[in-house]
Amino acid sequence: MVVSFKESAKTDPRIKLIAARMKKEGFKPDSLIEILHTAQGAYGYLPKDILLYIAQSLRLPLSRVFSTVTFYHFFSLKSKGEHTCIVCTGTACYVKGAQALLNKLESSFGLKPGQVTADNKLGVQVARCIGACGLAPAAVIDNEVAGKVDAEELIQTINMKTGIV
Amino acid sequence: MNKIPVVINDTKLEVDPHKTILEVCREHDIEILTMCHLKGIIDIGACRLCLVEVEGVHKLMSACTTKVAPNMVVKTSTERIRRYQLITTELFFAERNHVCAVCVSNGKCELQQLGYKVGLDSIRYPFLYPQCDVDTSHAWYVMDHNRCIMCTRCVRVCNEVEGAHNWDVMNRGHQVRIISDFNTPWGESISCTSCGKCLHACPTGAIWPKAIVQGQLQKNPAMITELIARRKMKL
Amino acid sequence: MIRHELHALTERVKAKQEHFKHRICVCCGASCISSGAEEVLHKLQEEIKSRGLEETVEVIPTGCMGPCNQGPLVKYLPEQTIYQKVDCDNIQRVVQSQLVENKPLEDLLLFADSREKAFVNANEDPFFKQQQKIALKDCGDINPESIEDYLIAGGYQALDKALFLLSPEEVIAEVKQSRIRGRGGAGYPTGLKWETVYKYVSDQKYVICNGDEGDPGAFMDRSVLEGNPHRVLESMAIAGYAIGATKGYAYIRGEYPLEIKRFELAIKQATKTGLLGKNILGSNFRFEVEVRIGAGAVVCGEETALIASIEGKRGTPRPRPPFPAESGLWGKPTLINNVETFAAIAPIILNGGEWYSETGTPKSAGTKVFALAGKINYSGLIEVPMGTTLREIVFDIGGGIQNGAEFKAAQTGGPSGGCIPAAHLDVKMDYESLMSLGSIMGSGGLIVMDKSSDMVDVARYFMEFSMDESCGKCIPCRVGTKMMHDLLQKIGDGKATQIDLDRLEELAEYVRDTSLCGLGASAPNPLLSTLRHFREEYVSKILPAE
Repeated sequence: MVVSFKESAKTDPRIKLIAARMKKEGFKPDSLIEILHTAQGAYGYLPKDILLYIAQSLRLPLSRVFSTVTFYHFFSLKSKGEHTCIVCTGTACYVKGAQALLNKLESSFGLKPGQVTADNKLGVQVARCIGACGLAPAAVIDNEVAGKVDAEELIQTINMKTGIV
Repeated sequence: MNKIPVVINDTKLEVDPHKTILEVCREHDIEILTMCHLKGIIDIGACRLCLVEVEGVHKLMSACTTKVAPNMVVKTSTERIRRYQLITTELFFAERNHVCAVCVSNGKCELQQLGYKVGLDSIRYPFLYPQCDVDTSHAWYVMDHNRCIMCTRCVRVCNEVEGAHNWDVMNRGHQVRIISDFNTPWGESISCTSCGKCLHACPTGAIWPKAIVQGQLQKNPAMITELIARRKMKL
Repeated sequence: MIRHELHALTERVKAKQEHFKHRICVCCGASCISSGAEEVLHKLQEEIKSRGLEETVEVIPTGCMGPCNQGPLVKYLPEQTIYQKVDCDNIQRVVQSQLVENKPLEDLLLFADSREKAFVNANEDPFFKQQQKIALKDCGDINPESIEDYLIAGGYQALDKALFLLSPEEVIAEVKQSRIRGRGGAGYPTGLKWETVYKYVSDQKYVICNGDEGDPGAFMDRSVLEGNPHRVLESMAIAGYAIGATKGYAYIRGEYPLEIKRFELAIKQATKTGLLGKNILGSNFRFEVEVRIGAGAVVCGEETALIASIEGKRGTPRPRPPFPAESGLWGKPTLINNVETFAAIAPIILNGGEWYSETGTPKSAGTKVFALAGKINYSGLIEVPMGTTLREIVFDIGGGIQNGAEFKAAQTGGPSGGCIPAAHLDVKMDYESLMSLGSIMGSGGLIVMDKSSDMVDVARYFMEFSMDESCGKCIPCRVGTKMMHDLLQKIGDGKATQIDLDRLEELAEYVRDTSLCGLGASAPNPLLSTLRHFREEYVSKILPAE
């Protein structure tokens, strides 16, 4: 089950990126979370063969890597979708109706938090407070923060970005 | 080494410094309940059964991780501690699907014995009934997550004694599960050496050998402690 | 760079800045950016250029100015005039009026749409008048991406003073004398913590800045890091000098990419200028700082979990003792302070501990930053002396409840805190007073609720949070939070009986007393505090006895 990445590493820039980061960190097992951040950024999620590659490079037990990955909400084992809508469910947003946004997303796209459309176009997630409490309720659509979000407008923005009508 | 004076349950004792409250109590036949403790492996203070009251300390302290100090005054069995031990035991039973009558460990299970000790006759809290797998993929052993109490003794024994680190914990909160490798079936693990130490470390019927009939399982956790002691002697 | 070169550099950049008659600050805090502040900044820079004013007027991006829901905000210095809701369409009018006609544009002044009379000098507005800025001083006035701006504002002079005029013991003495307590939530005396780490002898010690602001509704750390990163960096170096550490880590939430970017830039600038690295300012002191990015686990705000996370592991707490001061990162003595605590250190060293201790109350010295949010008219970030009453914060500064509704409760301390009902509006906001009401100061989130909030559901909301964020290591928190959540849901659904309520209370006490770490031990607080102040709402939802 040992996978060699020597061949593909030459061509795949994402693997090169991860390899460079591991080298920079001196292949220290302590740097696991930093490396996972790099891999998550490169792929949008953490494919299992990449996790194996990281585990072997850092000489970490596989279960130790998997336990770390599944502990932190930032890391994901499957694609979060080409476009993402993250609804903030922090206290201020809760008080100002974040649930209504989630309900609207579910009724419009059939997506609950953590789910992705069948064609992988759109994923819906929730965040534990993005720190934009003054603008509650807030959402993040493809890395852009939107404040004082109205449910109808949110759907329109998503439709525009994804082409889903 | 100079001994230090401590008072445990109103009895004055002269004890070795650098020892934990748990070690001192066990040496003096003072009962402390434990689940996640296994002598020889690193203590983590997770099962909260060994909590004791220490005079002058606001919080309850886990006896397995707290060292004795000169003139420390400890109480191990107050009304509050006994009440909390009962709730902890109830939560252990309510968390997963423990059905003693059909369990291989019936009669020899540490969790079952704990239930008798704290006088458990019914469980007042709602059962969580989680969906748990039974992993039978290994040639000799079975991992039944329904009976796991997340003491992580298997994880620590596999890592600290065998050095394989096949086991670890995935997810967090009430969704934690013991995993081998990348949550791969045990039988397909590339890390497991099939040494069987986890089986002996497991306090319940969560890990058991296939060649066994109900109620016949005999585990030997003391073997792990002995193994660690012998290895230390060689070094 | 050696010492006198820092002074020379500071004088040089000061002289350069004196060319400008006006400074226009565009708030580029996270909230204003999401309202379009960056576009306003570029448009404004073009506008100044096209009018040929770039020699006398400087336009800069700054950190958070405070009134976050009025953004994008633009401030004119030295007039201290703030304009709200500035956009690409009205920007020309502002420039024309303020810079050409030399009179303020009344209809866009801060709070012009909600106050009878808006203030030309924003500092006279009640929102700012009752505030006292120490940690947030300079936030909103300087460019956080420019070390020169920080130097002009007196930056790195505290480090200079510490290294050359004070011994490590004297630095610690100043911090002790200031009586500042940890701003992360627990309120442990900072000076005492420093002294403890200082006393341990070790070949290596560490300083950690805890920027894992996990409480929902709290964004003070974010604002300090994005508005004045050098202040935190300078204070971390001072801490390193005091306790004998050469290495620091800043642990910042992954949810805050802008803060990570600005803090990493600040490290780069400071290293290049010789304010970090070897032989700082020509002394024998060496100090380096690295950023560690959080990966989405609130429990990592707990110090032993944070250490595990920096070591690349699952962020599960371990029992204390040993405390991190004795055995922390990689088993070495480690000092961990919150971002807001660090933000106050440089001013304390510069002005003396006594100066700081004169503000606030006898047991809670200094100022506290609060993040106001919820059903309040002016939400945003404020800094007030400890001991300011809740009423002053909600009604004088925050402008009261939206739509003239009735105040029901204020939630402080997030999932570890509690609700303060209307009967206690005059409570002084300090550690002891909040504790006596069953709440905590926490990190400073303050969420205002009106009559539309259902307190049982509020308790359920926070319990869901704690349940999801429980690390799962110890059984009281792992199973207890799940059961308490389910019971709260059952009460909310109108299906529960008095027996369920009794079980719930029993579990709350049990989880509080037996959990391994602070997250579990404080998880029952929102439940216990709503039971204490709003029990009738629980009782009204349970089924009558048969």
